[in-house]
Amino acid sequence: MTATPFPETHGMIPPLSPERPVIWPQRTHATLPNGLEVVLVESHTIPKFNGQLFFRTGNAAASAPGLAEITSSVLRTGTSARTSRQIEEDLRRIGADLSSGAGTDTSVISFAGLVDFSAELLGLVSELSRQASFPADEFERERRQMLEGLRIERTTPGFLAGERLRKVLFGAHPYGSVSPMESDVENYTLEQLKAFYREHYHPANALLVHVGDFSPQEMLAQVEKIFGAWLPGKSEPAPDPPLPVLQGRRVYLVDLPAAVQAQVLVGNRAITRKHPDWLRLTLANSIYGGAFNSRLVMNIREEKGYTYSPRSGAHPLRQHGYFSVHAAVRNEVTAATLTEIFYEIDRMRSTPVPPDELADARNYLTGLFSLGLATQGGLAGQLATTTLERLPEDYLETYRERILALTSADVLDAAQKYFDSANAQIVIVGDRAQLEAQAAQFGPFEVFDAQGKSI
Amino acid sequence: MKPLNIPIESMTLPNGLRVVISPDHIAPVATIGVYYNIGFRIEPRGRSGFAHLFEHMMFQGSANAGKMVHIKMVNSSGGVLNGSTHYDLTNYYESVPSNALERVLWLEADRMRALKVDDENLRNQRDVVKEEVRVNVLNQPYGGFPWLDMPPIAYRNWANAHNFYGDFADLDAATLEDVQKFFKTYYSPSNAVLLMLGDVDVDHGFALAEQHFGSIPSGPALKPTDVTEPPQIEERRGIVEEAFGTLPGIAIGYPAPPRLTPEWYSAAILDQALHGGRAGLIYRSLVLERQIAVDTEGGIQYPVGDLFDYNGPTLMVSRLLHKPEYSADQTLVAFDEVIDHVKQNGIDPDDLTPIKVKFQSDYFSMLEGGQGSSTPRYGLMHLLACFTLFDNDPKLVNTVLAGFLAVTVEGVQSAAQQMLTRHNRSIVIRQPAKKAAA
Repeated sequence: MTATPFPETHGMIPPLSPERPVIWPQRTHATLPNGLEVVLVESHTIPKFNGQLFFRTGNAAASAPGLAEITSSVLRTGTSARTSRQIEEDLRRIGADLSSGAGTDTSVISFAGLVDFSAELLGLVSELSRQASFPADEFERERRQMLEGLRIERTTPGFLAGERLRKVLFGAHPYGSVSPMESDVENYTLEQLKAFYREHYHPANALLVHVGDFSPQEMLAQVEKIFGAWLPGKSEPAPDPPLPVLQGRRVYLVDLPAAVQAQVLVGNRAITRKHPDWLRLTLANSIYGGAFNSRLVMNIREEKGYTYSPRSGAHPLRQHGYFSVHAAVRNEVTAATLTEIFYEIDRMRSTPVPPDELADARNYLTGLFSLGLATQGGLAGQLATTTLERLPEDYLETYRERILALTSADVLDAAQKYFDSANAQIVIVGDRAQLEAQAAQFGPFEVFDAQGKSI
Repeated sequence: MKPLNIPIESMTLPNGLRVVISPDHIAPVATIGVYYNIGFRIEPRGRSGFAHLFEHMMFQGSANAGKMVHIKMVNSSGGVLNGSTHYDLTNYYESVPSNALERVLWLEADRMRALKVDDENLRNQRDVVKEEVRVNVLNQPYGGFPWLDMPPIAYRNWANAHNFYGDFADLDAATLEDVQKFFKTYYSPSNAVLLMLGDVDVDHGFALAEQHFGSIPSGPALKPTDVTEPPQIEERRGIVEEAFGTLPGIAIGYPAPPRLTPEWYSAAILDQALHGGRAGLIYRSLVLERQIAVDTEGGIQYPVGDLFDYNGPTLMVSRLLHKPEYSADQTLVAFDEVIDHVKQNGIDPDDLTPIKVKFQSDYFSMLEGGQGSSTPRYGLMHLLACFTLFDNDPKLVNTVLAGFLAVTVEGVQSAAQQMLTRHNRSIVIRQPAKKAAA
């Protein structure tokens, strides 16, 4: 190295240099004659590809809680052509990873593998989607594993808090249930799984997102060859029954006597990603508690040391959305934490965000977007989000400029509409004896055990 | 498969700071890291958890960037930042739009030059760390199982055996003087490597490194700490109570070979054969076929490290959660049948190529990601740092695969026979405090 021509500059934080253009890569968006929607993007970072085959039906539309989930687990354990062991050995032979699962609104088969073997992996994904054989012994094994998993979930503070909040916000609506009860799982029948599979795993209900080291034209031809003969069906959309009316703050204390910390979760219903206010809410959330540099983190972590990783989030589901704030805190400061959570919410609702803080938060969101363009997984994630919810075609191309156009008034408006301070629902998971008196300061309260029973 | 040809340029500044740049211009973003050759293994006695607590202090302020400035500057530039403490290293890293490259280098240089923290910062972060330990360990089912349970059972040298997250009494005992002493001892340019990945021009990156880091004085030469273990002559076992979870757990650890030795390459392929997903021999036998366990996972340094980021005694760990109707002994017998089969018969020769294909595929994924899509190239950065700090050769990233691909079935069997011995292993039994609810 030659001697540096630069002067010493320590003492001054360097300004940002000019930004390089941020360009979302070209994508190929096609719908096959059988209705299968396909989105392809080339990305040559590594000689692999990353795909997800979504079905737009999840647990919310299933005839029993968790049925979409167990269907997705059992479908990878056998097809008309392969046993469970063959499936796993074939995946390893082609260097692939595959997982199948189901959330509230979707079921998905996710896969990643070496491009040299893409036809083989796509062939297996197609086989799992069309010819799963649902072996009875594999079903019983998965049922037992699911039961044991549920029992452990019921000892996990974060799970118990999330489960209770969803129940409170959505009541008898299918969104009120995040996980089946043991009795649901005990009652599943193989015929129920097969019926769910027949009804919802078909191309007109599916979306294939596919990013990797390939030519989109060649990959589209391969996809057409492998998935083209798959016959479409028709799926009924999930029901959308009325939601509970939530008036005033209420507290739900879930008693976990062994707990040595309080898991606090506060929330209210909000909006979906399709709502015109979605980006306003995203920005307001980022300033409030969505980033390390947010008000909530500064307050209860960096100033007060109550907690390690507090955050807030806006959670879009297909039919409805919700906003929530969580923090795991030492028992003694549970009430103090809630006071600060509401103090910061009320500040967002009453005072416009100063220009510097607004600009910083807009930069944060546009920067995060750019970071997502550097990897196959990041591109696939952005594509999946927008395509699954059928957002406008130019959503990704215009995302940055729409974020940069938001104002302090937009943030204030979003906070007033979607940070529902007066009607916030408060969940606390922990040792009742240590938390009850603190919980009672925030509204009428109910106590539940870890099995969800009111006590 | 073509050999890897990732561009890697490196240099060393006069003060001893090594600088490694790996450019790619796929997106206008960069990941920057500073890795220090200090991990929790060699934190001071009576100060368990200190290396990690200290990592938190590095975000509390430096000479020209006070509390919160590091975090605010990176987030407001459109980036994310974090740090993590490992057995043998501690890292600090940022992923940002590439127009913030110089700003991030300035921030990292400022805190390498002079940490500026006070008692209030220390009290604050001590509280934060305690809640971190509660949320990750003390208030979670299977918290710390087995990464915190295993060392005190498996090791005899305090360096390897102590509680890395820290006893609360030790965290309370830490002083500001300890913080500054630790900083002066270990956080010098000669004990570090600076990495830049992504949308970075190599010459410009080196020039910026020299500009911002070049005048930081070199630290004292470090006395190596003895981390060796006395020979193990019999199996070690310990029981730990599980306060929350309903299933019993068992973890088995076998010492893994030192890095870059022929045995290390073979051990990695053996590890893939045993622990590689649902085709792995342990999961296949115990979960899918015999259905004694409900879940099994494992690996070298599992679950808090990997094959590449250790430089001292370490274990290949298998972690099983098993059905309560099987005793720990019955489960271990079933586990040992898998292990003994590999020792006696090796792996099926037809499985060797698939195992290597999967190993290579996993390696590619690690290069690209490893820490979520908001930290692109974290895995590549981590490998470059380890190969620089421990082996003085970042270009091993491009060539190391050859060693794994050359492993033979005989090599795997021999690794199994040498590594997987009863007298050399350690076992943690995690016992639920009460019977599972009926």
